[in-house]
Amino acid sequence: MSELQNILEESVARVLDDSIDNQFLTSVEENGWPTELWNTLCELGLPQILASEESGGMGGSWADAYVVVRRCGYASLPLPIPEAIIATWIAKQAAIELPEGVPGLIPQPLTSDLIRGDSLTAEIARIPWGRDANYYLGITDASELVILGRDGIALVAEDNLGRDPRDTVSFGNARLLNRTATDLPPDAVQWLCAMLRSAQIAGASARCLEIGIEFVGNREQFGRPLSRFQAIQHHLAVMVGAIATVDSMSANAFRAMDHYGINGGPGERDAKFEIAAAKCRASDSVETVTRIGHQVHGAIGFTYEYGLHFLTRRLWAWRAEFGGSGKWAQYLGEVAKAQGGDNIWAYITN
Amino acid sequence: MNIDGLRFEPYKLPASLAPLRAEVREFLASEIKNFTPVHRSNSWDAFDPEFSRKLGARGWLGMMLPKVYGGNERGPLERYVIVEELLAAGAPSGFHWIGDRQSGPLLARYGTEEQKKTILPQITAGEVCFCIGMSEPNAGSDLASLRTRAERTDAGWLVNGQKIWTSHAHRAHYMIALFRTSPPDKDRHAGLSQFLIKLPSEGITCRPIKDLTGRAQFNEVFFEDALLPHDALVGVEGAGWKQVVEELTFERSGPERYLSCFLLLTQLIDAVKDSASPETLRKIGEQIALVTALRNMSLSVAGMLNEGRDPSLQASIVKDVGCTFEQGLPALAQELVDLEPSLASYGNDFQQVLGNLMQLAPSFSLRGGTPEILRGIIARGLGLR
Repeated sequence: MSELQNILEESVARVLDDSIDNQFLTSVEENGWPTELWNTLCELGLPQILASEESGGMGGSWADAYVVVRRCGYASLPLPIPEAIIATWIAKQAAIELPEGVPGLIPQPLTSDLIRGDSLTAEIARIPWGRDANYYLGITDASELVILGRDGIALVAEDNLGRDPRDTVSFGNARLLNRTATDLPPDAVQWLCAMLRSAQIAGASARCLEIGIEFVGNREQFGRPLSRFQAIQHHLAVMVGAIATVDSMSANAFRAMDHYGINGGPGERDAKFEIAAAKCRASDSVETVTRIGHQVHGAIGFTYEYGLHFLTRRLWAWRAEFGGSGKWAQYLGEVAKAQGGDNIWAYITN
Repeated sequence: MNIDGLRFEPYKLPASLAPLRAEVREFLASEIKNFTPVHRSNSWDAFDPEFSRKLGARGWLGMMLPKVYGGNERGPLERYVIVEELLAAGAPSGFHWIGDRQSGPLLARYGTEEQKKTILPQITAGEVCFCIGMSEPNAGSDLASLRTRAERTDAGWLVNGQKIWTSHAHRAHYMIALFRTSPPDKDRHAGLSQFLIKLPSEGITCRPIKDLTGRAQFNEVFFEDALLPHDALVGVEGAGWKQVVEELTFERSGPERYLSCFLLLTQLIDAVKDSASPETLRKIGEQIALVTALRNMSLSVAGMLNEGRDPSLQASIVKDVGCTFEQGLPALAQELVDLEPSLASYGNDFQQVLGNLMQLAPSFSLRGGTPEILRGIIARGLGLR
């Protein structure tokens, strides 16, 4: 990591680690949106990390954003900072101003037919923090970026396994606040959020490992700490290997965004292969990480009070969100098939 | 507990290496185009002195060694590119492998001027084969318990004992061996020293051991009053353990840690290509993600080496994950393609490659540190032991 990224990580870590503990996470699950923390993170400029300095952003790279998003996963952050980073970037690509406040990302491409004149009628499921959003952002199958307000919406509150909001929002003839052509692919939100989740999985997995190491060093059975048992050591070493693959691939996907972007035309290089490989690996690793993470804790890790679940429940949710291992593995399998055995090495090393 | 020390920083090879990669690919396309896939699947074990000499003529062996000894003084990244291209293509690399990877660098660091002047140019020319005498009948993973003794006499070092599992010893020109030069004390790692031995030599007998494939690649090596010259000692007397550990970092970090079965992956892709179900493509896709992850991790280690940092913990992680990947591929290929694994006389290329690698796979987790040892090293890195 660059010196700047180290400083960035430290400052984000300090705020998140100071604010977030089991009590905080429990209170968010019971009472919802933590306004104070959201405001603090916005004051740090995190949603604007990819925005240019002229427009009040940090002028950061995707590699910088990776450091932040991974740390959000590490802290089980129950706020859409990663999603806000994506919203800012998508708006920047289309050269539009976003409304103030919290973005609600529409996860799938919107069917153009649902837009009549300047209004949308549609029911959209699984919008992260849909209930808290001040506006909604989506891309149509005709590559139009659309922004909607809250007027005329109906909302059904739902949570994912991590108890983070994933709401169903019904737009009834809702007026578009903005409508602009974009050169991003219609499913850009899905690609970019899959990449976010791979980084969050990397972060949360690393924290699971840390908690596990601490626990086995303190807990004694048969007259010695669990960490002295070879079976426990090997469990954790296997977990390390799984996490290493995710850490490496998720960081790699963000770098690929810096190098290639996401809108390569046919035959052009873009970051899709790296993103697919990162999310596939991240989703595949969740089984190993959560199984061993829980196993080394024994029964205490299964209790609500201990709090390991704030991480593991999010890992189970993130594993499937924006496509699980199967979806992305199939994409990679199609790449392999198209390249053929003789060319796959050149493709991977390109 | 902070685990930031375990992270793998993404490392991108400099674009300036692209022409070298292209050159290697072009060379391989013409040099090994007539090799059958099953032959290529032996890659870094396949013994082909003629091919190694061609690599030497290109300047691609011992390329990091000083120019005065025939090397090119190129960096570790250039070597990395060449090695990964050779392995991915299945180029026969067994003859020059040990000398290029570890014995050359070892001698460049610790050898006498005379040894450097005579031997290093032979390594860079691809003219010599090295073997490594480490394991003994009673010292496998527990290497420090080895018993073969080298005793200093007026005439030279007198060696008695036995090595085992020594790859290529029966056809190698040199062995780098680890012997006990003083009795073990409280520090088990003390009193071990490295030696350079010319083969064949009086008092040294190699007996090839047939492995489960029916081929004989490794050996028992007997030392019966074998007399080595005084200057056979490599480096510092009693510092052999430290020198060997340095060597093993190279051994554990390279692309050979995940590419042993790469040819099977390419064969598998072609075997299912026309009829692949989504489910089959998914299973292949998972392997593509994993092999890409391993390459990135391996590159990250290369980047650390290049910057002079110590990647020994990361190297152990790469080997452990890489080994699980390599050993899992034959069973997966068998699951996805309902054809028998075959010997070279029967079946198509896929079946022959599968048959060969299925038999070789158990050895992947034995050479260069078993998972049991590697996981112990990782656990120590985590502060658990």
